[in-house]
Amino acid sequence: MEAYLGIDVGSVTTKLAVLDKGSEVIAHLYMRTQGNPVATVQRGLEQVRAELPAGVEICGVATTGSARYLAGVIVGADLVKNEITCHAVGALSYVPEVQTIIEIGGQDSKIIIIKDGVVTDFGMNTVCAAGTGSFLDHQAERLNMGIEDFSRRALESRTPVRIAGRCTVFAESDMIHKQQMGHRIEDILYGLCQALVRNYLNNVGLGKEVRPPVAFQGGVAFNRAIVKAFQEELHTEIVIPPRHEVMGAIGAALLVRDEVSISGRASGFKGFGISGIKYHTSSFECKACPNVCEIAQLSHEKKVLARWGGRCDLWERNQGN
Amino acid sequence: MVKIGIPRALLYYQYYPMWKSFFENLGAEVVVSPPTTQAALASGSSRVVADTCLPVKAFLGHVLALADECDYIFIPAIRSMKPKIYTCSKFLGLPDMTRAVIPGCPPILDIDIDMSKSKRKLYQAIYRLGRHFTWGPFKVRRAAVAAWQAYLDYRRMMSSQRLTSVEAIDRLSGPPAIVPVRRAGSHAVERQPEQPPPRMTIAVIGHPYIFYDELISHRIKQRLEQAGCRVLTPQMLTGDELEAATARLVGRAYWTYEEEVVGAGEHYLTGGVDGVIGLMTFGCGPDSLMMDVLKRRAAAAAAPFMSLTVEEHTSDAGIITRLEAFIDMIMIRRRARRAPQTCA
Repeated sequence: MEAYLGIDVGSVTTKLAVLDKGSEVIAHLYMRTQGNPVATVQRGLEQVRAELPAGVEICGVATTGSARYLAGVIVGADLVKNEITCHAVGALSYVPEVQTIIEIGGQDSKIIIIKDGVVTDFGMNTVCAAGTGSFLDHQAERLNMGIEDFSRRALESRTPVRIAGRCTVFAESDMIHKQQMGHRIEDILYGLCQALVRNYLNNVGLGKEVRPPVAFQGGVAFNRAIVKAFQEELHTEIVIPPRHEVMGAIGAALLVRDEVSISGRASGFKGFGISGIKYHTSSFECKACPNVCEIAQLSHEKKVLARWGGRCDLWERNQGN
Repeated sequence: MVKIGIPRALLYYQYYPMWKSFFENLGAEVVVSPPTTQAALASGSSRVVADTCLPVKAFLGHVLALADECDYIFIPAIRSMKPKIYTCSKFLGLPDMTRAVIPGCPPILDIDIDMSKSKRKLYQAIYRLGRHFTWGPFKVRRAAVAAWQAYLDYRRMMSSQRLTSVEAIDRLSGPPAIVPVRRAGSHAVERQPEQPPPRMTIAVIGHPYIFYDELISHRIKQRLEQAGCRVLTPQMLTGDELEAATARLVGRAYWTYEEEVVGAGEHYLTGGVDGVIGLMTFGCGPDSLMMDVLKRRAAAAAAPFMSLTVEEHTSDAGIITRLEAFIDMIMIRRRARRAPQTCA
């Protein structure tokens, strides 16, 4: 059976999805990147292989997410695509009439505006990562509760308190202050959800017209309290597509399927076997000019596979071959 | 010969040919600091007063790079270039601020340019500057007229041949004499785009001192060109085009740089390009207002527009993702227009 693999390596989580020719998801996986994208991709491939039925042949592989180039070299990607395009393609396959996509990930949050099935506008958080998934994660950890408890307890709130959501540092001190004043933890948690939603709409969504249907995807969509806060703020139903957390990977797989069907090229996929290979990542400062770029490199048995990070192509040109 | 240092930052990209002509006509030699490096930016950042912006930090880094290489540093205080249209407060206080934060800096040649005042005041200011080199008023006058002509030629060259500031400066005078560095920056290693016809034309709107500074802009121009885009800039429009577009959108400008942001944005959003990118640095007050005007204009015109904010982040990842997504969006929109709704 022909299948296509999409890998989305984000800052906090890594997502894999295998689709058959008819866009059906055969296997998918959602795991923490834990600061080690290379090992996580390798582990992910091993786990996905175990889930796949016999006779599946990977005919195309695409990578996306902030580590897409790194992951692309490791797996031999046929396509390396940015996460905005992948999320839009993924969402459109589940909610064809979607007009607005809200995606909140670990470090980035995005809004994608779609008209007649075509991306017409998008926005991403500007220079800071306030109000993204890692902040919620951090707060849940600080309050010593799992992110699941976070959502359940926040939904029990009756009179949410107001939290400053402009900046996570302000939000945190605001939260602590409210705690010390004796406010209920449920009300603080839901207040935080409202602050995050407000911040998202005023920052990422600034000047964008949010039209229904609205699809909400990414890991943060697991948090029902955030979903409720979005619903209240936007006065509209929020659609959470099935497998919303791996939507970027699904979009990547769909894109590579289309690409391969047009080009007819054989996939460069290096196989599931690469999970056993020892890759080595390192970095150094280039001293060729006063820019002092930080060059990162990926190598295998002392052979350099790829280098990144230079302002010029000095090191990219000199890689491995 | 007296050596005058000009920092390759802020208004350099707008007026360098004019300044160079003026000083050379008065018998001085002009040197320019090398392109911004991480080290220069770091040294500049360590000197700033609170609450300044990234381009000013870079500017101070350039002054420091010139400190041991010249007899004077030229830092004009430009208050207005057209009557009642003002520049940012950081520009008009630039010589004083530099003196305050870089005490060991060579003597600063400054000049107050305020076109809201009388012509007489302007002539006096120019003469005061020229007096550092000659006592002859006619010599100063000749140098000033030549400088103005050099400026007009430079502007005309950019708009008629669609050149960027950097290209025009190189053509007019050969690459500027750069003070020595350990090794010329990577900027020399510029790959020529091999793919002949561009896939699309994209206008990048924003101040020249952001766009042309490869460190601050994360080489946005080269990145777009490598992705097969032709890149247009506000400097490729004539003064009349800019003025007309600004008037159309906001009426009379208040900020000097409204024309190169709002005017150029309006001009390009209403035709001739496939998409417009607004480039600004974090924490620029006027830009945040002007980009918002453009955002609304783009929404009304249903034209692809993206605003990009840069700061001291050294990682290019965020910029690359946004540029890729923007190009994809334009390609997808174009494909959808060509093959209208056969299937959903």
